[in-house]
Amino acid sequence: MKKGYIWGIIVVLVVIAAVVVYFATRPPTIARPIKVGIIDCYSGPAAVYGKDALNGFKLALEEINKEGVLGNKIEFTTRDTKFKVDIALNMAKELVMRENVDVLVGTINSGAALAVSDAVAKKEKVPFMVWISKSERITGEKGHRYVFSTGENTAMAGKAGGVALSKKPYVKYWIGGDDYSYGHDIANAAWRNLKALKPDVEVIGKSWWKPGEPDLVPYITAILGAKPDAVIFCTGGRSMTNIMKAVKATGMAEKVPIWIHSATDHAVLKPLGAEAPEGVLGTMDYHFYYPDTAANREFVKKFEAAYGNPPGFPAFHGYITAHFIAEAFKKAGALDREKFIDALEGLKIASPAGEIEMRACDHQVVLPMYLGVTKKSPKYGFVIATDIVTLAGDEVLPTCEEIAEARKKK
Amino acid sequence: MEIGQAFTVSALGSQFLVGLSRAMILFIVSAGMSFVLGVLRVPNVAHGSLYMIGAFAAFSISNLLGGGTAGFWLALILAPLVVALVSLIAERSLFCHLYEREHLMLLLFTFALMLILGDLVKMVWGADYRSIMAPELLQGSVNIFDSPFPRYNLFLLIIGPLVGIGLWLFSNKTKVGKIARAAAVDREMVGAIGINVSWVFAFAFVLGCFLAGLGGALVSPTISVTIGMDHDIIIEAFLIVTIGGLGNMWGALVGSLIFGLTQAFGILFWPQFAIVFPYIAVVIVLTWKPRGMLKSVW
Repeated sequence: MKKGYIWGIIVVLVVIAAVVVYFATRPPTIARPIKVGIIDCYSGPAAVYGKDALNGFKLALEEINKEGVLGNKIEFTTRDTKFKVDIALNMAKELVMRENVDVLVGTINSGAALAVSDAVAKKEKVPFMVWISKSERITGEKGHRYVFSTGENTAMAGKAGGVALSKKPYVKYWIGGDDYSYGHDIANAAWRNLKALKPDVEVIGKSWWKPGEPDLVPYITAILGAKPDAVIFCTGGRSMTNIMKAVKATGMAEKVPIWIHSATDHAVLKPLGAEAPEGVLGTMDYHFYYPDTAANREFVKKFEAAYGNPPGFPAFHGYITAHFIAEAFKKAGALDREKFIDALEGLKIASPAGEIEMRACDHQVVLPMYLGVTKKSPKYGFVIATDIVTLAGDEVLPTCEEIAEARKKK
Repeated sequence: MEIGQAFTVSALGSQFLVGLSRAMILFIVSAGMSFVLGVLRVPNVAHGSLYMIGAFAAFSISNLLGGGTAGFWLALILAPLVVALVSLIAERSLFCHLYEREHLMLLLFTFALMLILGDLVKMVWGADYRSIMAPELLQGSVNIFDSPFPRYNLFLLIIGPLVGIGLWLFSNKTKVGKIARAAAVDREMVGAIGINVSWVFAFAFVLGCFLAGLGGALVSPTISVTIGMDHDIIIEAFLIVTIGGLGNMWGALVGSLIFGLTQAFGILFWPQFAIVFPYIAVVIVLTWKPRGMLKSVW
């Protein structure tokens, strides 16, 4: 009888131990899905980019939610900012206050991104992942604990241009561009870096036109008349198509080397078709045809199957944003905003462009830049980037010290 | 601050030609606006939207026809007609009830129409950037004054005067044109002598809008066809019409030349601040001649 009593205790103890071990080693789970609130532009000219990013994000979520995050999944809600700063602010507040989202994501408008970063993310202590806007101030001088960027920015683009051009023999430069923040930011960043790497370069003239200026031919004829060694154009959006058309019509690229950030972007080149000029130097952080790796081919194949067209750079940013969120929550092990941020700092994930890192010091993703030359591709039937040179992420990012300096200055 | 460069004859000559070709587009669009303003007394803010519709229609038509040379030429003819049709519907259903209203009301009405048309364009064509190719013949550039001059701009230099001559012939040699001109000066009198002013107005409106559509179709191969084009052109067109003399078609020509040329030379002299040159010219003209360069019909 006594022996049976002891056996009974042993069995109970073993069961208790087994239960304890099970709960102690079992991966942590969360009680409710992770909620992501997306504010971006889904109407107006910028909607093309907003939708592309969202598609990339959705594609990633499908993969992520198949195996789940912390025993649950990631859900998202979107709000249309209509490219307006005030609407973006209201929507972001609404998502945080009423929808109680765990992470905010957005937007293409740099002004809106900066405003939300300051007035919502920082104030309400909600992590905000910026995925398309390119202002270097987001993770630069205006950066803080609650804002992250999963895209390239003007500092990286400018430095990529500066590094690329410093290896060329050109001395006399002409700078032209859209007379707004993006144009000037790119120009300043490119020139600062070029001048640092090659002190003998000089600017012989500058032209600034209004964004979307329909007739750029007079600018080009005036620039050609000044006979610079090379030209830096800093344009975006509508002006991008306009400048490419004007470059083609005047045959400018055959007369003088030109660098335009994002000139090699598929979204710019595709609609131009045969009208895209060849021989223009461009920089870009993603191409669906480059890098030609298994991971990228797989991503492009899935994206095309789902949406009928190849992913643009916003889709790539959307895709990695989702994976960063998932991996960071897995690492954090809890549905906690502060733990999420700690986990995201310095996090490395696999991406279609290889392994990428979320830099801890400034919350800026370290992405390589691809320098290429526009050339007609017999395979695709339109102009693509060729002779691509990869500039490593560390090479084109401002250093952590420079970021600290910029933030102190503010 | 770098002011200018070597002002060689060739640099001046090539800027002059480039500016002139831009002025041709501005002339075609603002002549239409001025015509409507003169005959109907309607400050049509939606004129820019019709210009945009012209460009989009040209895109669709040329795409529909395979995008080749024939497609382009047909688009150039058909797109303005599409715009004319749209404007005829707008005139008969909306505008014709409003002519007696005061200018402020009309201004607000056309402004509303601009917003509606802008959204309609977005619904029909979407927000993507579109591009049309000029036919082979008009691609590339020729060397004039030692500087590349796009063939397409050369083409514009031919089309502009043709449209001008056409307008002159219409308003001076045809009966409808003469009535329209008379209506611009004194519409009560025209009505009083038994002419159906309503149809004269409809005709004038459609013609003005046709010119907007033609301008849009003509400009489409040189830029990205996208929403927002309407805002770009409408301010320029209004300024041109104002400095030229309200409602005076030749004033629109003078205004366009002032606008296009000051911009082109501004770019040469002071490229960093080129944006402001046409506007400075506007200020100077309006200070010197507050009612515009030529006789205003108002």
